[in-house]
Amino acid sequence: MPTEYTQLVAALKALTQGDAPNKVTLPMAEDEWTTRPETVSYGIVQLDFEADALHGDNIKVVTAYEGSVDLYSLQRDGAGWVPLIVKALTDHCEGAWSLNAHMYERETGLFHWEWAFQVEG
Amino acid sequence: MAWGIHVTGMEQLYDAFDKLPDKARKIAAEALFEGAGVVADAVSKAVNGIATEKFKYAKGDRKRLPSPEEKAILLNSRHGVAKFRKGGVYVQTSVGFDNSGYGVITWNHAKSSNSRTKYKQGANGRMVHASQGTGASMKPVPLIANAINSGTSFMKKQPFLRKAFSQSKGPATAAIEDGLMSRLDQLGLG
Repeated sequence: MPTEYTQLVAALKALTQGDAPNKVTLPMAEDEWTTRPETVSYGIVQLDFEADALHGDNIKVVTAYEGSVDLYSLQRDGAGWVPLIVKALTDHCEGAWSLNAHMYERETGLFHWEWAFQVEG
Repeated sequence: MAWGIHVTGMEQLYDAFDKLPDKARKIAAEALFEGAGVVADAVSKAVNGIATEKFKYAKGDRKRLPSPEEKAILLNSRHGVAKFRKGGVYVQTSVGFDNSGYGVITWNHAKSSNSRTKYKQGANGRMVHASQGTGASMKPVPLIANAINSGTSFMKKQPFLRKAFSQSKGPATAAIEDGLMSRLDQLGLG
């Protein structure tokens, strides 16, 4: 696993809102939830595939991996998690991320954000 | 004392420059077509690689995979290089499922209070033929592609489009560059 990715996952899992008595943590799973959490919002982070590599002397000197962060929320504004996730992405991937999709699921009433990011490893 | 400078060929040069924008745009379009072909091939290959599973109903919280039927719709729909759009100084195209129409899903999914049946009649008013069964519904192909590519709360994500685009970026750029370089003599400036 690329170090940048493990750091990003740790940062995303540590996302919190509010102060002591009403402190909320964002349920964030790596790869997949086996059972969907019964919360307003939850997230998934995963490493998807190798995006590109810089070759030198017949070896890969730098490899870029692409991954994605998903945020599912019953609230249109993402219950305040969107700017926090964006900040974590900026801290750990600098400029190498983008909002890939923002969708609404009619069946479940969930709003879905999907960010794609690239990390070095 | 007077000096005279005689230059020949200025008119030919003027002609060559006059025709340059048209020629350059034609060459750019040809090179772009080669590059877009690389991306389209990568997308086709990626569609083939989508994992599927047979199921009747999505069970509870379990994340399902797309059904073989959904994959077949993607395989059989148009997902090649779009019509070229030419502007003053550019030519552009796109690859994907934007204009792929509708696919018929025939499985008999949950009937009660499930809004997926909303697509029984396609957004363009096309109806599913009665021979497809009562549970059949019409789904826009881009929505199916999007659900597989980005995942939903009940379908596992398989980023086949993102993977195809990311991994074919380098080869496609190289193909466009090769296409341009091999056609340089057509500019008639040599």
